[in-house]
Amino acid sequence: MALIEIKQVQKEYQLGETTVPALRGVDLDIDAGEFVAVWGPSGSGKTTLLNLIGTIDEPTEGDVLIGGKSIKKMSDDKRSELRNHTIGFVFQGFNLVPVLSALENVMLPLQINGTSSAKAKEIAISRLEAVGLKAFLKHRPDKLSGGQQQRVSIARALAANPAVVIADEPTANLDSETARNIIGLMHQLNEMEAVTFIFSTHDQRLLDQVKRMVRLEDGKIANGGE
Amino acid sequence: MIKWIKIAFRNILKNKRRSFVTLLAIALGFAAVNLFRGYTHNTYNGLRNSAIRGHGLGHLAVYKNGWLEHGKTAPDKYMLTKKEIETIVSIVEAEKEVVLATPELHVTGLVTNGRVSTIFVAKGVIPKDEKAIKEGWVGTRPVTGAPLQDDKLYGVEMAEDLARHLDLKPKSEGVIMAATLDGQMNALNVEVAGTYNTGVRATNDKFIRMPFAYAQELYDTDKADRIVVLLDYWRNTVALRDRLQTKLAQAGLPVEIKTWRELAVFYKRVKGLFDMIFTFIFAIVLVIVVMSVINTMGMAVLERTREIGTLRALGLKKRGVSLLFALEGALLGFMGCAAGMVLNIIVWAIIRYISPTYTPPGNSAPVPLIVNLVPETMTLLMLFLVLLSLIAAILPARRAAKQNVVDSLGYV
Repeated sequence: MALIEIKQVQKEYQLGETTVPALRGVDLDIDAGEFVAVWGPSGSGKTTLLNLIGTIDEPTEGDVLIGGKSIKKMSDDKRSELRNHTIGFVFQGFNLVPVLSALENVMLPLQINGTSSAKAKEIAISRLEAVGLKAFLKHRPDKLSGGQQQRVSIARALAANPAVVIADEPTANLDSETARNIIGLMHQLNEMEAVTFIFSTHDQRLLDQVKRMVRLEDGKIANGGE
Repeated sequence: MIKWIKIAFRNILKNKRRSFVTLLAIALGFAAVNLFRGYTHNTYNGLRNSAIRGHGLGHLAVYKNGWLEHGKTAPDKYMLTKKEIETIVSIVEAEKEVVLATPELHVTGLVTNGRVSTIFVAKGVIPKDEKAIKEGWVGTRPVTGAPLQDDKLYGVEMAEDLARHLDLKPKSEGVIMAATLDGQMNALNVEVAGTYNTGVRATNDKFIRMPFAYAQELYDTDKADRIVVLLDYWRNTVALRDRLQTKLAQAGLPVEIKTWRELAVFYKRVKGLFDMIFTFIFAIVLVIVVMSVINTMGMAVLERTREIGTLRALGLKKRGVSLLFALEGALLGFMGCAAGMVLNIIVWAIIRYISPTYTPPGNSAPVPLIVNLVPETMTLLMLFLVLLSLIAAILPARRAAKQNVVDSLGYV
């Protein structure tokens, strides 16, 4: 059984009286430990697909199964728990909580699930060490560079030991060298920790490190779906 | 919980200017309510003491049934006889909370210096009992000359304006006239032992305090119209009234008992007025606090929409988001109250240092402006405002929690 099963998923958005289709019948299986890039032009449905896998959105038709569990049948609370335990997020804009230090940001998912403060701190320090930010534990986001903020974001995504990390355009706000480093770091963590990484990008230069590429066009998988 | 308080606290500090304005509004409201409450607390205490001790109402007054309604038209019928006085005093003084029970006879008539006559209203009291009732209050309205004495029957204390109108000074003599209970005119020599200021213009040209026996002689009776009861503590008043009412009824005495609160008309009126003003100020403060917190938290929710989306994506449940913002509101309330407490103490200290005085309407002498610190009110108000701030924050907090995660993350 695949870790993530996407079955005939359609997603439509309502813009006023106009219905805009974002995904038009997507089928996709992703196994545990894969390093997958979802790519394609702007408006192809990359973000929508990642939002559905991340359980922060619901399909209009079809279903998404995470670890064999249908997200359509889950309550909002159950989905929150699933996200906290199983899914890590890396955002394009880093989305760190500005009033918290790097360490406190990484501790956040653990504290949400009730991990003791001491244990959460221990795990967060080790995660920040793994992304090369041991010297920046006490720094607030506004005192870190874009690349450093994204590293904190990756450490945070991995803090609760998730099965899958979803990164929507994680390098869009970074220069090309930093972007390459971030993808390299994600690749390295994927191999070391056997965590499934799914990220979206429209930058083809980053795809040479990727094992599997899923190309989306007009809300459909053009290739890489098998 | 501590981590959420930490986040809430840091977010309050992050928006310094907005938080400052909200905290200032809460602090000023808190201080205003507490200062006014401190003023009324002191005023109520003063008026209560004034009624019980200054005006000599005591805590309780025992009357024969019907005296209050018909005593003026048929005084002889509704006065307490000598035997009844003795029985009541012995029953009342058997209670451990009772300091003393003393008979009084209030009389009216004319007082003259031989050339000029005017009306007077007098209270016939047993001097040593009156002194015990007045206690420290004697210093507030001191007597110029000599006070009433048990062994000097004809010496009276006269209100200053009355004495001035009659050109009477301590040790000077006049004549007092009144109708006896039988309707005969009676006149007695009187010596002004001392003069005093009643504190109220309306009574300062009419009042006289005289020995109980002298008042009885003026009315040619051995009766009293009331027995004034002094207790060890004013909060025992109602309980003791109920107990004595039962015991006196069991003894076959047809009496009714009034508390000082029922008899102190001025106290009731002032308290009614101040309570209304307090309610008005309190309502204004409530509105200010609620609107300030709702506005601040509404802005916070708007500004932190992406943060809310992020927290939800990390697995925080809807109620977790609500709790976060509700905590922030409560913390704002707490910090505002803490600042208000400091402000309150500073103003209280300044008032104590300056010791200002003012003359209330109808008073014949200035009174000091005193504001008490009332810890119970401070604590209760703080708890109330913190709770109110929390409730006020729930509205925007619920809105924050209900937001769609994807929309929140995409909010710019």
